[in-house]
Amino acid sequence: MATILLEVATPDKGEVYAKEINMLITRSICGELGILPKHANLLTELVPHAMRIKEGGGETKLFVSGGFMEVTPEKITILADAAEAPDDIDVERAKAAYKRAEERLAKKDSEIDIDRAEAALARAKARLLVKGVPIP
Amino acid sequence: MANLQHIRRRIKSVKNIQKITNAMDMIARSRFNAAREALLSNLPYVAKTREIMRRVMSQMRGQEYEHPFIKTRDELIAEQQEGAGKFLFIVIASDKGLAGSFSSNVLKEAHDTIEYDGTSETSSLDADDDDENFHRKNFDALKGIKPAGKRTPKQQRQMAATGGMARAAGHRGGGTSGAKNLSVAREYNDADYIEGIELITVGRKATTHFKQRGYNIIKSYHGISERPQYKYAKEITDLVMERFASGEIIDVTLIYTQFKSAISCTPDDVTLLPIVTDDYAKTSANLKEEYIYEPDVVSILNDFLPQRIATRIYGAMLHSAASELSSRMNAMSNATDNAQELVGRLNLFYNKVRQAGITNEINEIVGGANALE
Repeated sequence: MATILLEVATPDKGEVYAKEINMLITRSICGELGILPKHANLLTELVPHAMRIKEGGGETKLFVSGGFMEVTPEKITILADAAEAPDDIDVERAKAAYKRAEERLAKKDSEIDIDRAEAALARAKARLLVKGVPIP
Repeated sequence: MANLQHIRRRIKSVKNIQKITNAMDMIARSRFNAAREALLSNLPYVAKTREIMRRVMSQMRGQEYEHPFIKTRDELIAEQQEGAGKFLFIVIASDKGLAGSFSSNVLKEAHDTIEYDGTSETSSLDADDDDENFHRKNFDALKGIKPAGKRTPKQQRQMAATGGMARAAGHRGGGTSGAKNLSVAREYNDADYIEGIELITVGRKATTHFKQRGYNIIKSYHGISERPQYKYAKEITDLVMERFASGEIIDVTLIYTQFKSAISCTPDDVTLLPIVTDDYAKTSANLKEEYIYEPDVVSILNDFLPQRIATRIYGAMLHSAASELSSRMNAMSNATDNAQELVGRLNLFYNKVRQAGITNEINEIVGGANALE
């Protein structure tokens, strides 16, 4: 089966993922994208979500907190602000962040930054999804 | 004859200083390890951002594409000929001293860059093959061009390039009689080009240095030089973007210290804005197919370029932090070694004086005994 190299880098942790994979399912600001080997050149922006990586018959999940994705026929490069494998995710923290963001959004206070709260909510949701924890 | 007690006291004080420098060395060492770790973790991200930037920009080249941050060199020259616009410099130095020549080196580089008028060929930076180092290239391209209206600040300076020390002396407005003429001329030019410059400083040393000289500092960051955080880089980027988008600023340059190894750190300057597509020509051959941009090229670039600039600023801050700490480490371990040597010499002197005293006493006793016989 043909493979494509996936590289994920973050400013603080360096290269967090580098592996030959079969398929990547990711979500850009325009919607879901499935990337197979020999994909055309593409540059897009990602939203916070749980990426699905298919390799060797199995599927793993990886959390990305948004960023940019560049695709060339041989390589996918993802520049994320943060990226975490299921093992690195702090469930309690994500749950707390989820609750906090929901509360903020529920208040509908003009004082708070709606965009930021929504982004925080999306991040927490994606983290919990990667970990396989039901969303409260 | 030297007083024994006096020497003893001196030895003790040197030993105390040695203890302090030794402690500072150890502190710098552990902080340096953390800073180097942070820098190394950041490098792949910077490299990848840069790769993508290169590919996208080399593709951008040759297309008649309008984006306020992206220009061809011809457009840049045309803009300069109109002579409108200020220069923005971001200078990253340290908060504290005691790091050898770290701060003075980066500040000297800052002055060299600010005053660069296309005449100096001495800089080793021109030789490096960093295709993103536009500042001097841009300036060299502008050499010999007479702006139509108001002249740009840098071009007003007709001074022949002198050595860095002479320049620095000129800036202090004093010095020897040889430098006096220079300093008078400098002062005059200083006042002229200060108006065309805005500064963002990171680190107290940079702030005080430029404040004394009357520069217009639009924002300073203190207390973050040893442990930079991404959010500050983002803040600086937002400010830079805002200033550049207002049209008042036509050139943004970053000056920082590049960390090469624990014993080698060199000041460096990079241009953040505008982005000149001509310099990405080298890689264009590799790329034949066009990119698909989702949703479209304008929105992608609007988000990607600030990201790229924030990444560069953050990277520069990390470089600077590692350089500062390694300079401090070197300075402090040198100081400790020197103190050790000084203690050795003082001990020798102390013993000599003590011996001389004993010999003297014996002489006196023997002399006294002889006189009794």
